[in-house]
Formats: sequence, structure tokens, C-alpha cells
Amino acid sequence: MIHDFTYLRPGNVKEALAMLAQHRDGAKIICGGQSLLIIMRQGLVVTEYLVDIKGLDELNCLIYDSRAGLKIGATTTHRTIEKSRLVKEKYPVLVAMEEKLASIQVRNWGTIGGNLAHADAAGDPAPVLIALNATVTIASSAGGRSVPLEEFYPGLFETVLSPDELVTEVLVPPPPAHTATVYQKFNLLESDQGIVAVAVSLSVSDAGICQDARIVLGNAAPIPIRAKNTEKLLIGNKLNEEIFTKAGETAGEEADPVADIHASEDYRRHLIAVLTRRMTKEAWEQACQV
Amino acid sequence: MTANKYSVLNTRVHNVDGYAKVTGRATYTFDVKLPGMLYGKILRSPHPHARIISIDPTEALKLPGVRAVVTGKDTLGVKQGIWRRYPELCDEQILTIEKVRYIGEPVAAVAAITEEIAEQALDLIDVQYEVLPFVDDPMEAIKKEAPMIHEGVERNVNVTRHIEWGDVEEAFEEAEYVREDWFKLGGQAHMCMETRATVASYTSDKKLTVYTSTQSPYYHQALLAGVLGLRESDIRVIAHYVGGGFGGKFELDASQFCASVLSMKLSKPVKIVFTREEDFIATKRRTPMYYYVRTGVKKDGTFCARETRVFTNGGAYTGMGATALYLTGFFHSFPYKWKAYRYDGYRVYTNSLPSSSMRGFGAPQAMFCSEQQIDWIAADLGLDIIEIRRKNAHTTGYEVPGQATIGSCGLNQCLDRIEQWIKAKGTLPKNRAIGISAAGFMTGGIFNWFDSPYSFSSAVVTINYDGVVELHVGAQDIGQGSNTTLAMICAEALGVKLENIKVHSGDTDHCPADLGAWGSRQTLMAGNATKMAAEDAKKQLLEFASAKFGYNIIYDLDIKDNWVHNVARPERGMNYVDLVKEALRGKDGQRIIGRGHYTPHRKGMISPAYSYMVQAVEAEIDVETGKLSIINCTTAHDCGQPINTLGLIGQLEGAASMAAGYGYLENMPVEDGKVMNPNLVDYKIIRAPDMPECEIIEIDTYEPEGPYGAKEAGEGLTNPTAAALGNAIFHATGLQMKQAPIMSEMIVNAFKEKKKEGGTR
Ligand SMILES: Cc1cc2nc3c(=O)[nH]c(=O)nc-3n(C[C@H](O)[C@H](O)[C@H](O)COP(=O)(O)OP(=O)(O)OC[C@H]3O[C@@H](n4cnc5c(N)ncnc54)[C@H](O)[C@@H]3O)c2cc1C
Repeated sequence: MIHDFTYLRPGNVKEALAMLAQHRDGAKIICGGQSLLIIMRQGLVVTEYLVDIKGLDELNCLIYDSRAGLKIGATTTHRTIEKSRLVKEKYPVLVAMEEKLASIQVRNWGTIGGNLAHADAAGDPAPVLIALNATVTIASSAGGRSVPLEEFYPGLFETVLSPDELVTEVLVPPPPAHTATVYQKFNLLESDQGIVAVAVSLSVSDAGICQDARIVLGNAAPIPIRAKNTEKLLIGNKLNEEIFTKAGETAGEEADPVADIHASEDYRRHLIAVLTRRMTKEAWEQACQV
Repeated sequence: MTANKYSVLNTRVHNVDGYAKVTGRATYTFDVKLPGMLYGKILRSPHPHARIISIDPTEALKLPGVRAVVTGKDTLGVKQGIWRRYPELCDEQILTIEKVRYIGEPVAAVAAITEEIAEQALDLIDVQYEVLPFVDDPMEAIKKEAPMIHEGVERNVNVTRHIEWGDVEEAFEEAEYVREDWFKLGGQAHMCMETRATVASYTSDKKLTVYTSTQSPYYHQALLAGVLGLRESDIRVIAHYVGGGFGGKFELDASQFCASVLSMKLSKPVKIVFTREEDFIATKRRTPMYYYVRTGVKKDGTFCARETRVFTNGGAYTGMGATALYLTGFFHSFPYKWKAYRYDGYRVYTNSLPSSSMRGFGAPQAMFCSEQQIDWIAADLGLDIIEIRRKNAHTTGYEVPGQATIGSCGLNQCLDRIEQWIKAKGTLPKNRAIGISAAGFMTGGIFNWFDSPYSFSSAVVTINYDGVVELHVGAQDIGQGSNTTLAMICAEALGVKLENIKVHSGDTDHCPADLGAWGSRQTLMAGNATKMAAEDAKKQLLEFASAKFGYNIIYDLDIKDNWVHNVARPERGMNYVDLVKEALRGKDGQRIIGRGHYTPHRKGMISPAYSYMVQAVEAEIDVETGKLSIINCTTAHDCGQPINTLGLIGQLEGAASMAAGYGYLENMPVEDGKVMNPNLVDYKIIRAPDMPECEIIEIDTYEPEGPYGAKEAGEGLTNPTAAALGNAIFHATGLQMKQAPIMSEMIVNAFKEKKKEGGTR
């Protein structure tokens, strides 16, 4: 049962920040409510004030600039990203990821800001956005800051946000040349949360060598993690089946998964190995073509 | 396809309650709100096994807004159960007094002015327990040293069932090939859209009205009377719309009992709606089973003997578990002719949520073991999977020794059609295969352990002045469309149009008693009662028409499509509505009333009729991750005469989603007596994008005992899918999966195991 709270609806970002500054720990932001309402109902979150930012149009935007890259406002819904032609053209991996994130009903309500701030290790956007080297823009009534998404999560269900801060946007840099980013989660049901997930971004040099690699494992540790040993294995090499397999094995080893009712630790490592091998190969093949 | 000889039957009809449901006007129990209504919540045991030392509600009663707290001591303490003829199987006090036997068992209930206050009050009730050792697995619970769950029940054996025919030892001697396997089958949640819910309203004149989500209003009327000490007829059970049952809603549940007890104490209406979690942990579930199967066949595939032992996880109470125990043993022989067959079933109490009936009633478990083993035998002997089934298949007129006589059986046609379907598919891509499973199911149970003094089904047809027909039935529409089916049968039998029929159901004050919606019984049993009532009314109309028309008495009169006519000269006649008007005048203004009932006689032990089917499941396996996808699920199906062909497709698709879920998704782990995933995030059920393509191939048969030749088409379709999926995996990979649901991790482990074995050889 959801405990009583006072509902606040700011008219703009400034007002929202003022409310957060005033109530601090006593307030909680709600956007699409797709994650928050579940945990409120379970009694895991009890709050005095709920600050509803869903209506803040300032934060509902998708803007691309060839130098700055893609700016996604925090209240932009999953569905808007999924259906954006712009995103499809520049970052097809985001569209592919969104298409498999929950159901259409959830995507119609849930927002990118809410998803990232919820800090669920099984969330889909974070691994992909970390692979794309995204940063998060944060505002408070005292000012603003920018944090690489990779450094946004100190621990399970934790972010670097303080109670008076709001995520305003996510910035995705323009994709470097000859780069491909791919993502896959493993689940038993289409569009269900991933048991594990792997995002791989590879850049190929003109000489056909792997120049850069960003591999991010989802639900393979308390937070999305970079598989740095695996990346090292790839960088500076021309990739082939043998390396793909080795990459998979290495990722399986460097993951830090836990067992739950959906999968044992062993099985998770096995899945990470299979997915990393497949995604590395797919990213490589795509990157060699662009 | 031959032309449809019926006016109404065998057509695609939208449900008669479709408008109300689609527009949100249908009032489910959840929507019921009465003046002065209070809200109830139930305090549940956190322990799998414990003695209750004391329950102190003092603090809870001090909370403003709380109106009452009741415990078992405020009740008559009746140990109830649905097997009323067998007192030893009536073992459940819904508000338990001395002991709790599973996590989630109700120990107290609160009524308050809001649901929030009622929930807060639960935390203030002080219960002292003496925690006892517990056991949650039947193979452990049956051991001598296991804790005793019910006083005096040795080794926790709750029920045993034995089925035997032929000389089993001799038949095994004759066999040229014998194999034995152990299987393990999981539980499954019914997962109704509507959780259990009740509004009980007791008034000082000792009358109780109960709105509830039920598969059988009559059962609940009778069961409540027993535990509350009221006359049956002083209890009115109302269930106009029910959001699903699947076998989980015909025993007494805690929402019904606690809301009634609270309402009687306060003389105020009390509403209790279960949360999804309560529905998961504290109702009943599909019965988990351990299966041992030993089968002997001849080299040509002729079945000789089968010997089966089953241990079921009964959980804390009996519920419908005794029936599931019998039926799993009976259907494990299906749909084949065994020279000799022996089944020993043991239902074992454990400290976990009770198991009971669920769509298929023990048969999906039985088929998972039987039908996979048949494919493994066929592979060992180099026999064709269709041929081995054809050789042993039930046929019309076959007698299952001492158990049943098969009145109609289209199994061989089902096999032929599925064989053609598979051939037409041609070669499949890598890692894809088709698995099949045959199955059959009962069309309603004959057993009367409930000890109903009433006919199994009854119907009353009343014809108004304007020709509108009021059909009153005790049959219960729980979403399966029985009101539509019965309206169609009534319209066909009377010879009127479907829009002339108004169905009244779900109210014990106004509808005749009926055992309700379970065991796939309503189309046949309530259908026969309806047909009889309609024919009775029609006879009265035709008596009048006969006198009015004045034809030679050798002529037959009939009504079809609202036209009353001479059968030999159909153009001669009159409109039905005009006839009704005149007939009423001739009866001194009385409305025309027809009555019908049905109780099976001389139909064996189990059921008056059996459906048959063969299902083919085409599945793809990712051999590295173990992930399964069902591509197609095609069923050749003999349900006798289809009534509503659209409803049939609904049943087929619904069954496929549920049965596929049982096959590879709906894992329900219980650890230390606790259900580990009591929510819809962690308990996986198939959603729209995961649904396989479903096709149905209707086999034309006629069942003499059914209305217009109809048989069941509800539960049986749940029986073959998990088995067929297992067989698809076997044919794609060679793996023999002996545990359901078949989780992807098990497939990966089975591959590893196989590799190891291969390596050591
Ligand atoms: C049935 C279902 C299935 C799902 N499946 C998936 C899935 O497969 N993959 C996946 O990734 N997710 C999944 N989700 C989660 C969901 O999609 C996201 O978590 C959701 O989009 C969160 O967005 P929201 O706007 O609804 O956030 P809310 O629920 O409103 O908020 C979530 C959290 O973020 C905080 N918050 C919200 N906005 C901001 C902001 N701008 N700044 C700072 N803090 C903020 C809130 O305080 C809260 O703590 C699923 C959810 C449901 C209900």
C-alpha cells in the first residue's frame, strides 16, 4: 500500500529545483512512475513530498548537433526515443535497445532520466549509453555539473545524485568514424528485463585494426561494468573467431554476477561469454562496413 | 467442409457479455461497493510450521478506524474441505487455531474503515509462535523421521490412490523392451486477472449476501453454510462477472471466509481483495509431482504394460488434491490401450502452500512424462512417432477397464492430420524441430465427493410475451464464455435467434443449483440441462401451434430461425413471437416455463465423454544459451460438435499460453517453504509478443452423450503442450528433459552433462 504524501507539481525546472532544495530528503522526484510506484507500493520508498517533473517540457527534447552529439532531455519517454528518425539514423542501437525495453505501455510512460536515476542493474539504457560514452547533466538550485554515465553509479540502486539534484539531460557524443555499437540482453520473454546484457562498441582503423573498444556488461555486477580486460584483448588487433571466443571467455571471467532465482552465477557467466562473443563479432562486422 | 446444419451452433459468436466487459460496465467483485462497507485484511503466518501460542489484538483495536479483529477462536472452528463425503479430507480451518502449516496461512483478520488502516492494524496484532521443524518436499515428508504436519497422519500421507487393470507382471514378461524414468514436475500459479475477492454483507435478520469471485456459486453457498452455521438458502452468492478461475476458485478461500466472519460480527458489509502476492502465496497451485514410469512394449511398438508411481506435493491441506491425484493416474494411461496398467499415487502433506486443481487437473503432468517417454521408446526401437501412437490409440467404443467407456474418439483422425501437417512443413532450419503429444480429457466429472443433493446441472427457460427468453442457469461464466455457449444451445433448441436469449447466471437466489465451472463440465452438463429446458418450452409452444394450425396429427411441427412451421411444408407457418403472444393468452397469461436438468448415469467412474487431440509444437532452441522459442502450436482436436467456433479458438490460445508457460517459463521455486517469486516481475508468464502461432484442425465426431454431440474444449488443450515441447527439444538436440518447466539453464546443463558422458565413453 502506498503511504500518504503531498503531491507537488512544479511549473518549470527552476521551481522543481527550489522544491527539492527546500525538502531535500523529504522529497522524491517522480517522472513516469514506472519504477518508483512499484517500490512505493512495496513500502520500500516512503516520502513526504512527491515532485512530479513529468510535465516539464523544457526537459522533453531530442536534439542532435554534429559536434556536441545527441542531447536527450530527462523527461523524454522511451517511446519517443524508439520512434525518433533522428536517433534511428545516428544511433540505431538506441532504437533497437528501446524496442525491447518492457512493453509499449511502459515505454509510453517511462523516461530516460527516470530509468537512469532508478539505477537498476538490469536496466537496458545504461550499458548502451556507457558504451556510447554518454554523460549525464545534473542540475540543482546551487548550479550544475556533468558526470560521465560510467561514473554515475557508486553501487546497487545508488547514484551520485544528492537529494536536491535533478538529471536534466543525457549527452551522447557523436559516433566516431568506423564505429559500431550493438547490444543484446538475454531473457526468456521478449521485452523482459535482461538476466544479463552486453553492449559492445568497436572502432576500426583504416588499416582494419580494432582501434577502440568499449564493452559494458549489464546485470553482471551490482552496477553496469566495463569489461576492461576484454577490451584490451581486442584493441590493436584484427579480430577473428578465435579472438571473439577469447573475448567471451574473458568477459565471463571478469563479470561479477550473483545467483538469483532466474540464473545461477555460473549460468550468468556462461551467458555473458556467449553474448560477448556474439556482440563483439557483430560489432566488428558492422564497424568494418561503415 | 459440409454446410452447417445448425442455425446458431457451429458459428463464430461474440460473447454475450462482450459489450459490458469491453466498455468497463461489467461489475466484478472488485467493483462492488455497498453503503457502510468496511475493508478487511488478513494477517498471515511468516512460518512454514509453528504452534500458535497466543494472538493479542489489543494494540490493533486501539488504532482509530479499526472496527474488529477476528481469529480462529471467533469462529466455529470447523475443519472444512470440498470432499465433504470424506470427513478425514476436510482438514482446513481457514483461520487456523492451533498450528500454522504454511507461510501465508491466515491467522487473523481485521476490518477497518479503509484498506490502509486495516493493513496498518495487521502490524499491531501480536502473535506468539513456537516455531516447529518443517518439511517442504514430499520425498522428505514421507520419511519416518519427518515432522508430522497433521496430527495422526503417519508419514504425512494424506491420500493414496490405486488404479490397476490386467496382469501387470505377466504383461511385462511379454514385453520385448522395457524402460523406466523419473520425472519432476513443478507447480504453477493460476494467475487469474482478478485476484480472489469478496464482499460479504450480513444483516441482523441472519441473511448473508456474498459477492465473490467464484467458479461455483453453489459450492460456496454450501461451504459457507457449513463453516458459518447458517442455512444454505440464507446465503446468497453473487458472481455476475468473474476474472478467471482456472481451477483455483471453487474451494472456500480466505477472502470469502474472513469477510463473512467479520461481517457477521459487525453486521456491516466487509470487502477483502487479495493482493497479487496473497494470490501467489496463500491460495492453491498446480500440484508439483514426482513421477516414476516403467513401460514395457513389443518391438513393433505395441504397448504391453505400464507401472507408475507418483508422489505429489500436497502442501498443507487437501483441497481438490485428492481428485488431482486420481486423475493424473488415470490420464497417464491416456489415450492408449494398455493391456495392463498399474498406478500408485501418494499425496503427501508438506509445509508449503497447498496444491490443488488447475486447468488440466493432473493431466499436463501425466502427459509430460508419458508422451516424452513414448518418443524415447520410439527412438530406441527405431519406430515412427505417429505410428507407435496410432498402433495403441483409443478408439470409439473402447473400454478403459473398470474406469470408462469411450463414447466417441477421433484420435486416429487427429494423428492422420498432424502427420500431414508435419509432412507439409518439410525440412526445418537448424536447431528447430517439431514435437508432438497426444492427449485426451474428461468432459465433466461424475464423482460427487461434494455430496450435492441437487442435479449436477439445471436450467430454467422462461418465455416472455415478446418472445424474449430468460435462461436461468447455475453454470458459471468465468470468462470461458459459458453464458454464450448456453445461449447458443438454448436458441438452437428452441429454434429462435440468439438475440432473443437473455442468460442469467451467477446468483444462487435466482439460478438453479449447478456444480459450476470446473472439470470441463459445463458445455456437456449445463448444455444438456439447457437443451432439455428449451425443448420442454418448445414442446409447450408446439402443442399450442398444433392445435392452432389444425394439421393432420401425422405432421411434425418445428421452430427454426423464429419461424414456427410444418416440417413437411416449411413455407406454412407463423412467426414465433406472434405464436408466443397467442400461446400466453391460451395459458391464462402464464409465461411459458421449461425445465431441464442433467446428472450422469452409467458412464463409468470418471466422465460421460472424452475429448481427444494431437498437438504439434514447433520450437527453436538456441543451443548455446538454452533459450527456447515456440514458433507454432497446431492442434488436431476432437471436441465433438463445436458450439461457438470463436470461443473454441479463445480456449485454444488461452490454453496454449498457459501450457507453454508450464513447459518452459512458469517456474515457481519454493525455498524453506517460501514462494520465491510471488510477483509478476519474477514469475514469468507469456505475453502477447511471445505467443506462438496457434492453429486448430477440427476433427468431426459426434458424442452421443453431449448436447448436439458436443464435448469439452476447455482444459484438455492444456495437457499436451509441455510434453510436445519436450519432444521438440529431444528431436532437435537429443536431450531428454525430465523436469518441467524446462528452464533454459537446465538445457545448458544437460548439454554439459551429455558432453561429459560422451567424453568418458
Ligand atoms: C513492467 C515493467 C517492465 C520493465 N522492463 C524494463 C526493461 O526491460 N528494461 C529497463 O531498462 N527498464 C524496464 N523497466 C523500468 C522502466 O522502464 C524504467 O525504470 C522507467 O522508464 C523509469 O522511468 P520513469 O520516468 O517511469 O521513472 P520513475 O519511476 O518516475 O522514477 C524512477 C526513479 O528515478 C528518479 N527520477 C526520475 N526522474 C528523475 C530525474 N530527472 N532526475 C533525478 N531522478 C529522477 C525517481 O525519483 C525514482 O527514484 C520496466 C518497468 C516496468 C513497470
